[in-house]
Formats: sequence, C-alpha cells, structure tokens
Amino acid sequence: MTKLKRIAFLCVLVAFACGPLLTAQVGYSQRAKQIGMHLKCMCRGCDMSAGGCAHPGGAFSGPCDTAKAMLKEVDQHLAKGESEQQIIDAFVAEYGTVVYVEPPKKGFGLVAWLMPVFYSLVGFGLVIFVVRKWAVRPASAGSAGSQVHNEAMDRARAQAARETED
Amino acid sequence: MDVFGSFSLLLAFVCAVYAFLGGMVAIKTRHPLLVKSTRQAGMATCVLIFIATLSLEYLLFTDTFSMAYVVSHSNRDLSTFYKFAALWAGQEGSLLFWSTLLSIYVLSVLIAYRHKNGELMPYVGVILAGVQIFFLTLNNFVENPFKTLATVSASGALEPFTRLDGNGLNPLLQYPEMVIHPPNLYSGYTGFTIPFAFALAALLARYPGEKWIHLTRKWTMIAWCFQSVGILLGAHWAYAVLGWGGYWGWDPVENASLLPWLSGTAFLHSVMMQEKRGMMKVWNVWLVFSTFLLCILGTFLTRSGVVSSVHAFANSQIGPWFVGFIILTILVCFAAYFKNRDYLKSENVLDSMVSRESSFLFNNLLFLVACIAVLSGTLFPVFSEWFTSNRISVGAPFFNKVMIPIGLAILFLTGVGPLLAWRKTSLDSLKRNFGWPLLVGIFFGIAAFVLGYRDGASMLCLFLCGFVTWTIVLEFYRGAKVIRARTGMSLMMGAHELAMRNTRRYGGYVVHFGMVLIFIGLAGAAFNIDTQKAMNVGDSLKLGPYTLVLQSGDTKVDKNYTAQRMIVEVLKGNKQIMLLYPEKRQFQGNEQAAGTMVAIYSTLREDLYVVYAGMDPEANVPVIHAFLNPLVKWIWLGGVWVVMGTLLALMPNRRATLVLAATTQPAAAVPGEPALTPHVSLREGHD
Repeated sequence: MTKLKRIAFLCVLVAFACGPLLTAQVGYSQRAKQIGMHLKCMCRGCDMSAGGCAHPGGAFSGPCDTAKAMLKEVDQHLAKGESEQQIIDAFVAEYGTVVYVEPPKKGFGLVAWLMPVFYSLVGFGLVIFVVRKWAVRPASAGSAGSQVHNEAMDRARAQAARETED
Repeated sequence: MDVFGSFSLLLAFVCAVYAFLGGMVAIKTRHPLLVKSTRQAGMATCVLIFIATLSLEYLLFTDTFSMAYVVSHSNRDLSTFYKFAALWAGQEGSLLFWSTLLSIYVLSVLIAYRHKNGELMPYVGVILAGVQIFFLTLNNFVENPFKTLATVSASGALEPFTRLDGNGLNPLLQYPEMVIHPPNLYSGYTGFTIPFAFALAALLARYPGEKWIHLTRKWTMIAWCFQSVGILLGAHWAYAVLGWGGYWGWDPVENASLLPWLSGTAFLHSVMMQEKRGMMKVWNVWLVFSTFLLCILGTFLTRSGVVSSVHAFANSQIGPWFVGFIILTILVCFAAYFKNRDYLKSENVLDSMVSRESSFLFNNLLFLVACIAVLSGTLFPVFSEWFTSNRISVGAPFFNKVMIPIGLAILFLTGVGPLLAWRKTSLDSLKRNFGWPLLVGIFFGIAAFVLGYRDGASMLCLFLCGFVTWTIVLEFYRGAKVIRARTGMSLMMGAHELAMRNTRRYGGYVVHFGMVLIFIGLAGAAFNIDTQKAMNVGDSLKLGPYTLVLQSGDTKVDKNYTAQRMIVEVLKGNKQIMLLYPEKRQFQGNEQAAGTMVAIYSTLREDLYVVYAGMDPEANVPVIHAFLNPLVKWIWLGGVWVVMGTLLALMPNRRATLVLAATTQPAAAVPGEPALTPHVSLREGHD
C-alpha cells in the first residue's frame, strides 16, 4: 500500500468514525436535513421546512423540537433503506398534504405547476394576437397623412406633458 | 386622551361621509360652495385622523395601561423609539396608521389641486373619501385602538381597570428597521390610492386625454419607490433579525407586498405607450385599478388568517369587510368602465414587431405573469382545500422554480427594451446596439464561472446583468457624447447634463441599474452554505475560507431585555479579521418569545452570517449557526440605486435652450482680409 493510499484509507476511517459523532451531536444526519428541506415543519409556528427550520422567536434559533423529531424520523426511514420519495409519502400519510413544502407534481398539486405555464402561454398568445392585430393597418399607419398626424400628435402630447408638469 | 382620540376618529368618519355624499351632490349640482365645502370636509377628515393618531401615540408614550392596545404592545421599559413604533405593531394601531398615511396623500392632493382641474377634483375627492370611509369604518367599529380595559365588579357592573405594566412589544419587532420598514411599505400601499382615484375619476368624468396620467405620474412613482424601499427594508429586517440566513421566504405577507409592486411596475412602463403613442388606454386604466385592488387584496390575505403566515396579523375577523370592499370596488370599476368605455378608445398601431412598443407589451406580459403566479401560488393552499379538502402547502422552492425564469426574462427585456427604437428598429441598429452589451454579458458569464459561481441560472443571471449594465452605459455614453460635441463639456458632465435634461428617462435607467445590482445579489443565493455546531469556549468551526473560534460569552443587561452574547473571533487563513457578537435576547414582558441579533461580516463577495442559536438542551453548551451567503450586499446597494433613480426621475427636467453666445475670433484668420463681424454661434444652454 502506497503512502497516499494509506492516508486516504485513514481519512475514510476517520470520516466513518466521526460521521456518527456529528450525527449524534445534532441528533440527525445531513441526508435527513436534505430530505427535511422538502418537508414542512409541523410545529405550525414557523412555516419553515423541517430541514431549514430556524424557528424565529423561539428560545433556540435552530430546528425546533418538532423539526428535530421529524428529522430523526427521516433518519429512521433512511435506516430502513427507503427512498426520498417513499419517505415523503410516509410523511404525507402521517400529516396530510400540508406537509409538502412544494406541491407534488401529481394529482391536484400538478395544477399549481401548470398554472404559471398556462398563464404564460395564454399571455404570450394574447400579446402576439394584439401585436398582429395592431400591425394590420398599413394603409393608415404608413400613409404620409398619418405620418404628419402622428408627428403633430407627438408634438401636442409633448406640449401637454410640459404644460402639466408639476 | 382615549376619549379625545376615539371622538376624533368618529368625527373623521362623519366628515368623510359628508365629503363622500356631499361630493356626489356637488358633482351633480356643480354648486361651487358645496364643492368647496366637501373639499374642506375631506381635509378635516385627514386632520382628525392625525389627531387620533397623535392621541394613540400620547397614550403609548405615557404608559396608559388602562388602554387595551397599550397593554398589548408596550411596556414601561420599552424605549421611546419602539413606543413610537408600537403604533403599527398591532392590528388596530396599524389600521389607524394606514388611515394616517392615506390621509397624508389625500390632504396633499386636496391642497395641491384645490385651484386646478376643477372638472376632475370633485370626483377624485369623492373616491378618496370612499376609500377613507372604508378604513375609518374599520378604525371606529371593527378594530378600534381606543378600547379601554374593564373588569366586572362584585355588583356585576363593568369598572375601568388599569394594569401595572404592559405585555411589551413583540421581540422580533424590536429592531431599528422595524421603525422604518412598515411606514415605507404602508406608504407604498396607500400611495397607489391616488393614481387609482385619478384614473377612476377621469373615467367617470370623461376627462380629456392623458391628463390624469400626467397628474398622477409623480404620485405613482412616489408610491412605487416607497413600496420598493419597504420591500427591501423588510427583506433586510428578516435577514438581520430572524436568524435563518435568508432575506426572502415567499411568506404570504411578503408576497402580498410584491403583488402591487409588480403590477405598479408594469403600469409605470405601459403608461409610456399612452404618453408617447396614445395607445393602451384601457389597459392602463385597468392596471391602475388592479394595482389598487392588489393592495387591498394583499391586506386582506395577511390580516384575515385565510393563508398562514409567520407575520403577526393573521388572527382577525376583518376578512369579510375587506372582501366586501374589494367586491364593491370591482363593481364600481366595471360599472364606470362599461358606462364610459368609448372615452378610452385609442388608435393602436404598431409599425413593427421589433420596436419599443412591442417590448413594452412583453414587459407587461412578464410582470403580469409574475404577479398572477405569485398570487395563485399564495392562494393555492386555499384552492386545494376547496377542491380536494386537503390543504397543499406552497413554499419557497415552488416560488423559486417558477419565478426565476420569469425574473430572468424580465432582466433580459430590461436590457433589450431601451435598445429598441419607437415605431421600428432596423436590423443594422440592432447589430450596432447589441454587439458590445452581448460581449460584456459573455465576459460577466465567464467571470462568474471562473469565480466559482457555477450554477446554470446564476451564470445566466450574471450574463444578463453584464448585458443590461452595458446597454445602460451605452445609453449614457451616446447621449453624453452628443452633448460633449455641442457644448465641449467633459463626458462625465455631459452624462450629468443628459440626465438632468430628461430626468424621467435617465432616472429610469438608474433604477434599471439598481435592479441589475439586486439581481447580482439574488444570483448568489444558489451558493449559500451553512453549518451549525455546539461549541465550548476555544472550539472552532470552519466555513468556507473562514474559521470561527468561540472566545467567550457574557450577559448584557439592558432596561428592556437581557442578552446572552457570544464573542466569536473570525479568522481567514491565519489572519484575524474581526470579532463578532451574536446575541440572544429575552425581553421584559415577553416570557415566551426571544429575539436574535445576528452578527454579520459583510463584504461585496459574501456575508459571513453568525447566529447564536441558544444553548444546546442536551449538552448545555452554546450552539453557533454560521452561514456563508455570497453577494448579498449587492441587493442592499441595488436598493440605494433604485431610490436614487426614482428621485432623479421625480425631478423636473432642465430644459435645453438655444442661446446666442459670442465666440473669439478664429486664430487662423487670414491677415489682410476684412475683419469679420464678431460672429455668433449656437450653443446649448438651459434655464
């Protein structure tokens, strides 16, 4: 074993040894915190995610007791080898859909995701329609008379703007 | 003083009702004395509201603990500074404060235009009085701030009762920004009442042309500026006090403040279409109506408990009043529109798809989509409960995913719009205008990659920031160059002169630059990291390039709170940078709630944000939570530029005039030739 490999092996050993210590110190794993970012803290006081709970106004500016309990529960699910989605589903079964931090991309939750797309498409279509409709007046828009009219109007508007300047 | 304040409020209500009803009769009869009388009643309403507000302030300052509001939101040891701010700390006081700010606008309008716009002002007065009646109804009959405490005596009668001390102010509100954030935000909300009143009045009175827009332009900009500052101050307050490392959590109260800001911003842009080309009259009127309605809707959402929020006003029974007022306002707007819609007919002509006009249309589309997306996301939990009986929460990750693309598209248009000419833009002009900004944008993108900001959306954002910045620089440069050629001024002086000659346009560009800085700050959010550790004295914590060493802890006793303070040494490499003092405060009168004072080491590159979270309940040692938040400072700097830009836009234009000036004889005059008469040249000056 080369010296470099020995150092790497030692680092891995140290990491394995310290990992549980770190977990023990905060009471939950980093992975639980990541998954907790997708779950709402159910203390009903802070409106934050369990993973990002800082519980403003609380005696402790970190995960509140509810968030910590939820993160420990996530760890228990992880220990059983469950996937992130399975864990989220388990929490939804326990607390209801209110535990979602963002709506699921299925069922009624999908509506939340589709609404902005729908508005954008309808709005874009409307703008295109309006632009095309307004552009279909070449005879009046392009004629010399209209040009004069526009310039006169511009001058009149500029004058009106000056005169009504507060 | 409580009776005095209460009576003033009641009298204000009576005056407002007279101003409203008398104003309607005055519109019909055109009787000059009645017009004057109702206008003065409107002014009296405002003055009486000021008196009521001063009365409540007096009760707060004098620790009158026989008053329910004073007991709930103040205590003896609360500093004078926060006693003043307690006015808007609770539901009743903040609604009175709302009426007060609205009164400042109303009084200003009634005085400023008392001898002008005689056809329009009676309508404006009636509409403003109508809005005041709604808020005064709440102040007098629903959420009266002058309620006194009473106890039931042995005989069963109610007797006045005075507490020895109050419950104190919410600890989260005991921060200097709390004194200026709500007044700014409320000034924004209430300020949009003025353009609304003028737009509706112009429609009802069939007032000629775009004059209502000219009249309300400055009022709209003032309201918009207050709203922008209020939003940013709120974000900064959340950042500095809540101890969660962020500044924007997409909480319903935050969203409510963003809604009228988005529609108001759309209006500030689309109004130029009407001024320059006489287009979009209907659209502009409805944008103003919507902005006002969104102000009221936002207030309803956050004060009625319909959506859950971390903010304090969520438990109240005023929801139905707001729903009633919103429905009534919508009905009035629709009725006015359908009755007089022919007055809004405009000749909408677009000469080209590639023009400033079409860019404004897309600008409005994006702002409106952003507005509706925020609104629907905020209301989605309510919708989901209606349709499925299950409440589905919508939090920050949803809004971030939806709003980032919209925000980037708006940023793109911020750069493109000013480069497009009115009516039609040629391909040559596009090439000429876009070349350098694109190159600078690419440079920004590469710089972001090299500096380690390797996230798709952030890199795109920084690329666009470079692009937009250069379009703004080019706008100033080209204009300044022309002035330099005509006057011989330096480029810097030329740019200054340019800005002063068209304050609105160049003020707008300064605001755009402020928004670019804000976007740079937002781009950093993708790279936030944090760590938390229970630390004994002497322990260290590493975060990014920084090492935090817990030096010691102490206790600080103030009149109104006791603080546990940690002394944290910050090292970068082996070099000591500074000492930070994060605190945890326990306030008098508030046994349950504690306050956090975050300690921040802020640079343009990043913020080192250190929170003393409290004592670890198991190990009984201090827990330090540290965050490294890149580029946050740019957001606050951007806010300063936005304010400066708006102030510039509010200034009157310095008018360029042509003056005759004697010049010296040309040096190269040919000897022997007849002397030239002292010739004159045209140079630009200004009055």
